[in-house]
Amino acid sequence: MAEIARALRLYWVLQRATMRGALQYRLNTVISVVTGAVYQGSGFAFVWVVMHTFPSMGGWSLREIAFLYGLRLTAHALCMLPLSSLIGLEWLVREGELDRVLLRPLNPLVQVMTKRMGMGQVGDLLTGVVLLIVAAPPWNLAMIGFCVPAVVGGALVEASFHLSLSSLSLRMLDTRALRGFLDDVFSKFGSYPMSVFGGVTQWVLTFVLPVAFVAYMPASVLLDKTGSLNVPALVAYGSPLLGVALFALAYRVWERQLRHYQSSGT
Amino acid sequence: MIRVESLTKVFRRPRTFPGPLGALRTLVTRRYDERVAVDDVSFEIPEGEVVGYLGPNGAGKSTTVKMLTGILTPTSGLVEVGGRVPWRDRSANARSVGVVFGQRSQLWWDLPLIESLRLVGALYDVPAAHFTGSLRRMCDLLGLDDFLDTPVRQLSLGQRMRGDLAAAMLYDPPILYLDEPTVGLDVLAKQAVREFIVDTNRAGRTTVVLTTHDLADVEALCRRIILIDKGRVLYDGGIDALVTAYAPPRRLVVHLADDETRTFDIAGGASVPELIGRVAAENTIRDLSIEEPDLESVIKQIYAESTR
Repeated sequence: MAEIARALRLYWVLQRATMRGALQYRLNTVISVVTGAVYQGSGFAFVWVVMHTFPSMGGWSLREIAFLYGLRLTAHALCMLPLSSLIGLEWLVREGELDRVLLRPLNPLVQVMTKRMGMGQVGDLLTGVVLLIVAAPPWNLAMIGFCVPAVVGGALVEASFHLSLSSLSLRMLDTRALRGFLDDVFSKFGSYPMSVFGGVTQWVLTFVLPVAFVAYMPASVLLDKTGSLNVPALVAYGSPLLGVALFALAYRVWERQLRHYQSSGT
Repeated sequence: MIRVESLTKVFRRPRTFPGPLGALRTLVTRRYDERVAVDDVSFEIPEGEVVGYLGPNGAGKSTTVKMLTGILTPTSGLVEVGGRVPWRDRSANARSVGVVFGQRSQLWWDLPLIESLRLVGALYDVPAAHFTGSLRRMCDLLGLDDFLDTPVRQLSLGQRMRGDLAAAMLYDPPILYLDEPTVGLDVLAKQAVREFIVDTNRAGRTTVVLTTHDLADVEALCRRIILIDKGRVLYDGGIDALVTAYAPPRRLVVHLADDETRTFDIAGGASVPELIGRVAAENTIRDLSIEEPDLESVIKQIYAESTR
C-alpha cells in the first residue's frame, strides 16, 4: 500500500516535470490542445448534421447520442491522458531509453507513462466533459455514483488494449498500425448506439472486442434504455468491472514482455 | 561486492531471409539466429576497487554491464551485486548503484539541470536535508554552480557529463558503473571527470566499474583491468603485470643522415650502448630515441592475437 502511494506521488512529480518541459514550447501546446478539441468537436458536428435529417438513430435522440458521445470521449481522454507515452514506446526501446527506466527504483510502467504529456488529449477531455454535462439528463446522486466508475471502467477497457499491444514493442514488434486501427474502431463504433449496427456487428463489438462496454452500456443505464440491449440489464450495470478485469490482465502481459526485454546494442 | 560466475548471454532473433518474400518468411519462421554476446565470464570485484572493463567494439562490455545493473537477464550463470541478484530485484539494486552512460544522458532535456537533480533526489527518496548537503558537495566537486539553472539541452557535452555524474552519485550509491564516461570530451573535461571518479572512490570507498576506449582513463584511474573480446575474458589482473607479461620489446628508433628511419628491437638483456655502437659504426646517426612499451601497444597486441 505504501508502495502504491509512493508510486502515485512520484507519478505526479514526474508528470508535472514533463508538463513543465512541454510548456516551454507554448505555441505547440496551445495548437495541440485546440486541435484536439476541434477534431473531436467536428466529429460530433457530423452527428448533429445527420440528426437534422433523421430525428432519431437506432431509437436514440440527438441529446442522448450527444451524451453517449461525451461519455465515450471522456473515457477515451481519461485513458490516453496518462497512456499517451505508450505511443512512443517503440522509440524508447530503440533509443535504449528504457534501460534508464529499468535502472530507477520505481515501477517501469509509471515511469514510461510520464515520458510525454498528451496535450491533444487535454482537448479531447474538454470536448468530452462539455458534451457530457450539456447533454446529461437531470443528475441525481445515484447517477453520479454510477457515472464516475463507468467512465473509469470505460477508460480501463480501452487502456488494456493499448497496454497489451504496446508491450509487444518491448520485443521489437511494431504494433502502431494495429493500435491505430483499434483506436479507430473504438471511436467510430463506440460513439454511437449499438442498435444502429446489424446483429452480427453488435455481437462482435460486445463479446469479441468489447467496445459496447466502454460507453454504450453505461449510457443505456444512465438514460434508462437498458431494455433495448442485447445483454441482460445486470450486465450493463456491471460494465465498469470489465475494465478492471481486462486491465489487470493487460498489466500481466506487460510485465511478461518486460522480462523478455533485450535492450539495444550499446 | 560484485560476484560474477560463468555469466553467459545469448541473443536470439528470428532468422531474416533475403528476397521479396523474405520479410514474410521471417515473420513465420521458427528458426533463430543466435549470437553469444557474453561467454562464460567470471570475476569478482571487492569493495572500493576501481576496475577497467576493456574490449573492442562488440566485445560484450555493455552487455555485461547491463546484466550487472539488472537491465538484462542472463541466459545462464550467476550475478550477485552486494548480495543481490540484480535482475530479480531491480528496484532494490537500483538504489545501490549509480550508472552513467556516456552516450546517453539521464537528465531531463527541457528542464534546468537543478530540476533534473531534484527529480533524481525524489526518485531515490533522498531526504531534503541530505539532498542539500549532497548537492553542495556535487557542485563543489564538479563546478556545477555556473549552469545549474540552464536547460540541459543548452549544456555543452562536458557540462552535461558533469551533470550526469552528479545525478548518478547524488544518493551515495556504493557502486558506480561508468560506460564510456569521457567519450567526446575535451582534455579539460576529461580531467574533471577523472578527478571526480578518484575523489568519490577515495572519499566514499565507492566501487567503480569503468568501460572505456580511452586508455588514458584506465591508466589514471584503475590498478586492475579485465580485458574481454568476443564475450570471453582475455586478461584479468593488474596493469603493471599485464605490461610486463605481454610487453613487446623496447625499440631503438634511429633517424639517419639521409632522412631514413630505422627501428631495432631491443632483445631482453641486450646492451643498448652496444646496439647503438653497432648501428653507428655502419650509419651516420642524426637522432635516436628509445620507445618504451605502453598499455596501448600491449592491448593492441592482445586484440590482434585474439583475432587470429
